[in-house]
Amino acid sequence: MKPAMLSIDSLKSAVLRLPDDVLSATRAAALANLDEHGLPTVQHEDWKYTDLRPAIDISNRWLADGAARPTGGDLSEAIVSVTGSIDADWLVIANGAIDMSHFNSSPGIEIERFSESAAPFVMDRPLADLNAALLQDGLRVQVHAATEKPLGLLIIDDANSGAAVTQVNVEIMVAPGCDVEIVEYQTSSGRDDHYANSVVTLDIGEAAHTGYVRIQERRIGHVQTGRLSVSVGKDARFAMASYDLGGGLVRNDVDIDLGAKGADLVCNGLYLASDGQHIDNHIRIDHRVGPASSSQEFRGILNGRCRCVWNGKAIVHKGADGTDAKQANHNLLLSDNAEIDAKPELEIYADDVKCSHGTTVGQLDEAALFYLRSRGLGRHEAIQALTRAFAADLVGRAPVSAAKTAIAALVDARLAELTLERTS
Amino acid sequence: MLEINNLTARIGDTEILRGLSLSVKAGEVHAIMGPNGSGKSTLAQVIAGHQDYVVTGGTATFNGKNLLDLEPEERAREGVFLGFQYPVEIPGVNNAYLLKAAVNARRQHQGLGEIDAFEFLKLAREKMAMLGMDTKFLNRGVNEGFSGGEKKRNEILQMAMLEPKLAILDETDSGLDIDALKAVAEGVNSLRKPDRAIVLVTHYQRLLDYISPDFVHVLSEGRIIRSGDRTLALELEEKGYDWLREAANG
Repeated sequence: MKPAMLSIDSLKSAVLRLPDDVLSATRAAALANLDEHGLPTVQHEDWKYTDLRPAIDISNRWLADGAARPTGGDLSEAIVSVTGSIDADWLVIANGAIDMSHFNSSPGIEIERFSESAAPFVMDRPLADLNAALLQDGLRVQVHAATEKPLGLLIIDDANSGAAVTQVNVEIMVAPGCDVEIVEYQTSSGRDDHYANSVVTLDIGEAAHTGYVRIQERRIGHVQTGRLSVSVGKDARFAMASYDLGGGLVRNDVDIDLGAKGADLVCNGLYLASDGQHIDNHIRIDHRVGPASSSQEFRGILNGRCRCVWNGKAIVHKGADGTDAKQANHNLLLSDNAEIDAKPELEIYADDVKCSHGTTVGQLDEAALFYLRSRGLGRHEAIQALTRAFAADLVGRAPVSAAKTAIAALVDARLAELTLERTS
Repeated sequence: MLEINNLTARIGDTEILRGLSLSVKAGEVHAIMGPNGSGKSTLAQVIAGHQDYVVTGGTATFNGKNLLDLEPEERAREGVFLGFQYPVEIPGVNNAYLLKAAVNARRQHQGLGEIDAFEFLKLAREKMAMLGMDTKFLNRGVNEGFSGGEKKRNEILQMAMLEPKLAILDETDSGLDIDALKAVAEGVNSLRKPDRAIVLVTHYQRLLDYISPDFVHVLSEGRIIRSGDRTLALELEEKGYDWLREAANG
């Protein structure tokens, strides 16, 4: 068994080797936190189903090897393939390095680098600390006015020169009354092991509207932990949908803070998993005041030997009267070896609230499958049609309209591959 | 076209077909009648290849090919069509998608190219007009939220689009009001052709007032106990099934 501990000594020397700059104090503080608490293990309730050892193992090997920023292969073609598939103004972070060449500056958007301004705020969470301890740069994006195109954030990695680790940190602020759409796209390639750890912080001002799409299609076998922390202002609306199509070990933590009256939140997600994949979506929504509404709908299609986790937590704090919180999670299991750990969670400390949750785990409808086959559709085509139908609604409701076609194509392609082997 | 010989089949531990023989030739319309539980629907499902029914003996060939060796989709592509007693609702799978995929699967099997979008729409509109169906049904989920009559019309629409060699229509008349029954029957009659055979599975002779069969068979306890022409159906309407069962057992 691989050691379950992150090698703090090698991490310390890697951090010490980084140049003394505006981020030094933040790195030191994060390192001290990590030294004290370490990374979570399956003993922690929030990490019961997800074992971080593969991430720790890759990190330790990368640290032992000198902790260099990965060079990877030439990513220009892969970048163009993504940026060409969704019409957006793209901020690219390739192998951990910021690449502004795909971004068309827009009068409504102001961008600065952490290295040239100030360090980001670091949330006291172990993976955020790991991110901050190794942070060399990051982006602060201020959206002052509605933009013509969505804002794209492409996080792309290629591991071909030994085990590699990248840290990405982006802060986005949406000004009051402003409408913006954002696409976060994470992908990776390469034969070697890779661990990507990202932190995105999103601050949505009063009466602003933000649509956020997360697409994750990393190489199966690569590790991703991604945090999205959102605070939603008074009368503001935040609609997000995540599409997890790839990755080996994937853990998404989405924390949404509804701290002002009238906030409206939609948080949806689709995960498609097959052999060798582990996709964990941990959602936490804090209803601090009412009235405010939140709605979660996650759907999963699993085949082969894989495991997915959905934990949708909504905490209705004392005094948050008039809260309306909904949670739904539906899963389609195509194999006996697929496992879903679904955990809806409602903690209610207010009196006047409307909360509901529902979870289903089912198999393919054999009657529908026979019906389609009796019309001449091959078994694989029929299964594809049925799984596509299961996912279609969430694809259709993607909150960034410019991304819908690309998402539909990615989901179709993934389903075509995922449904090919039906193990039972 | 369809030759069934001494067929036996079970579902779970229950034997349902117990030595059924039937011969259907091109251009013929056969009606299979019988009381509930006699095996009518089982016969239809076995011909279409439903996996829950296990064939334990006998043979079934379609134009000389061993039907029992073929997957359900292969039977469909060969030209076998089953009109379901209870058409399945498939939300999220578009009716037009299914029709087009089905037509193309059959065409590909025949060595023909895929139908283009324009040609497909023209054909679908024409067949829908014949069945008195609104074209808006093309964009709905397969049978999703359809009334009983709409579901049955949709089955006949699929049959009209697929142009099968052999169509087995399982209780196509059940749950239909008189107008829907007439529309469905007209649709079926317009699809009668010298190179196509139709097998109507029905409990009541009502449907046979609108679609006149060449042969009528009575199924009881998993085998055919009497065959005749359409006057047999009228006789059954008058006397019920019991006299035949008594005659068969006695």
